Amino acid sequence: MTARAGRTRGSRAARLRLLHAALAAPAALLLAALFAYPLLDLLRLSLEHGSLAHYEAVFSGGLYVRVLWNTARIAVIVTVACAVLGYPLAHFLATAPRGWALFGLLCVVLPFWTSLLVRTYAWMVLLGNNGVVNKLLLAAGIVAEPLPLMHNELGVVVGMVHVLLPYFVFPVYAVMLRVDRDLMAAAEGLGAPLWQVVRRIYLPLTLPGVVAGGTLVFILALGFFITPALLGGGKVMMIALLIDQQVAQMLNWGLASALCMVLVAAILVFHAALKRIARSRAA
Amino acid sequence: MTGNFSGRDLGSLTRRQLLGAGLAVGVVGTGWAAEPEKPKTMVVNSSGGVVNKALRKAFFTEFERRHGIRIIDTSPADTAKLRAMVASGNVEWDVTEIAGQDGVLAERLGLLEPLDHSIIDLSRFPDAVKGNKYLFPRSVYSTVLGYRKDKLKAGHPVGWAQFWDVKKFPGRRSLRNHPVDNLEYALLADGVPKDKLYPIDLDRAFRKLDEIRPHINVWWTAGAQPAQLLIDGEVDMATGWSGRFYDLVMKDAPVAIEWEGGAVKESDFAIPKGAKNVYWSQKFLALMAEAERQAIYTNELGYPGLNLDLVKFVEPKVLPLLITSPENLPKQFFNDIVWWADNQQVAIDRWNKWMLKG
Repeated sequence: MTARAGRTRGSRAARLRLLHAALAAPAALLLAALFAYPLLDLLRLSLEHGSLAHYEAVFSGGLYVRVLWNTARIAVIVTVACAVLGYPLAHFLATAPRGWALFGLLCVVLPFWTSLLVRTYAWMVLLGNNGVVNKLLLAAGIVAEPLPLMHNELGVVVGMVHVLLPYFVFPVYAVMLRVDRDLMAAAEGLGAPLWQVVRRIYLPLTLPGVVAGGTLVFILALGFFITPALLGGGKVMMIALLIDQQVAQMLNWGLASALCMVLVAAILVFHAALKRIARSRAA
Repeated sequence: MTGNFSGRDLGSLTRRQLLGAGLAVGVVGTGWAAEPEKPKTMVVNSSGGVVNKALRKAFFTEFERRHGIRIIDTSPADTAKLRAMVASGNVEWDVTEIAGQDGVLAERLGLLEPLDHSIIDLSRFPDAVKGNKYLFPRSVYSTVLGYRKDKLKAGHPVGWAQFWDVKKFPGRRSLRNHPVDNLEYALLADGVPKDKLYPIDLDRAFRKLDEIRPHINVWWTAGAQPAQLLIDGEVDMATGWSGRFYDLVMKDAPVAIEWEGGAVKESDFAIPKGAKNVYWSQKFLALMAEAERQAIYTNELGYPGLNLDLVKFVEPKVLPLLITSPENLPKQFFNDIVWWADNQQVAIDRWNKWMLKG
């Protein structure tokens, strides 16, 4: 940095670069101390006694690999559900009259600010056998027996979608706000039916937001712990539950660290692949 | 967090420490040259909730009165946190609760200070625990069957063979999401006698568990869950820790306990390695060993103290609900925590795989 700055002394670009570096330094230092260092320590712990034994344990026996796949599968379901619910919602927020849009935003933000644990317990109150939903269904005579809405995968997915929806809505909403409405008007003026306008103009223009939101939701879903622990009834296995088991019950921190590293690696690979696809599309 | 977690490294003393300890032993023989300075406060860590309340009533206030050291209580009893504290050399707890097989694990990992038997009087304790080097035998707890009296009008299952009989005893069921106890229950249900459970035949246990699995509505993880599940009507029968059900029974909830086939485990208190006021920690455990104080705790929670003089001080109405009452104890079996400490990893791996299929 300094060598380069020396060569192009006085040039505006170099000074700007220095300024950028200075501005980024506090955050970078914080990240290094609170994120990079612990992560490296975790890596070291996973290589206890300089051996790959813990990684062998992760990849042999089939348990952890299957749970990883199961975790990914649930994360995909949650991401798709967030997209289906979130895309129209984001469109509403971006296009509705000011008052309605503000009200809608509040509805998205308020739960976002509420503790994860509180929201998960709220779902338990709603989805239980004697919960609000089942009581209503029974009272209305729609079902004879309470429906199993909780203590299974359905409960976990419902809880996770609720928690993660804002992470999808906000990026999409931000992109939708910037879309030039005249483009759609022009397409309509030229005789394109609505679905063509959506498919050929609106969707491609908002796709970066969808990708950003979807990635965010997917990655966060991979590491979910509280919601599957409380709403899954022990039947829904996600990788974070197994990591907790190794940390808290087995005191086998080496194996737990190895599982963490595999999860981090999977996320990095996924992220890199997505970036590549996005770039090749743009080109 | 520093690097080394093995007991060997934690156990090594500096030469000065060794000399100091030797001198002290030489002077008074008990390991304490003179009463060390009193701290203002001490931290006792336990499983929290009703347990902390009962601990305060039985032990904390009395300790504060006798020694003028204020007790701060924290929770939960988290062995992973204990390990992290000892490894980082920043031990916040003076005394902590450790349940069941975690005690053996902590002892093996070298996470505990030895008990000073010259301060803590275990002479009136059962022979099996008298000689404990690191684990103060606070109590026993039992994982038993709790059930809704109002929902199971046609009677409740007595013993695990009947619990497995879903035709004769219909109802929603909950078991713990952990192999401990459940493997034993399965073997008992399959006709293995109580004294032939160990070493556990994993194949046989899991075969038997296959039968009950479709009929388990919730696999609980947290100790507070079973009581909650019963009260909310989520399930009609659940295994759970006897003290949690005891609380419900005492509050006249429509819940009852079946002791047949209960799994009894030792529940310990211990001093973390490197605790700041070891002498006073020993003093605290000494107080916890007194029968009269134990009785107060037992009246609150039904977890008996192990001092054999306890029965002299306990309220009569509590006796039938005690794990160790002559009525209840023979119905239960003692969980082999050493087998579990040796085989936990294998059992849990297999359990997780078993949970995954289908």
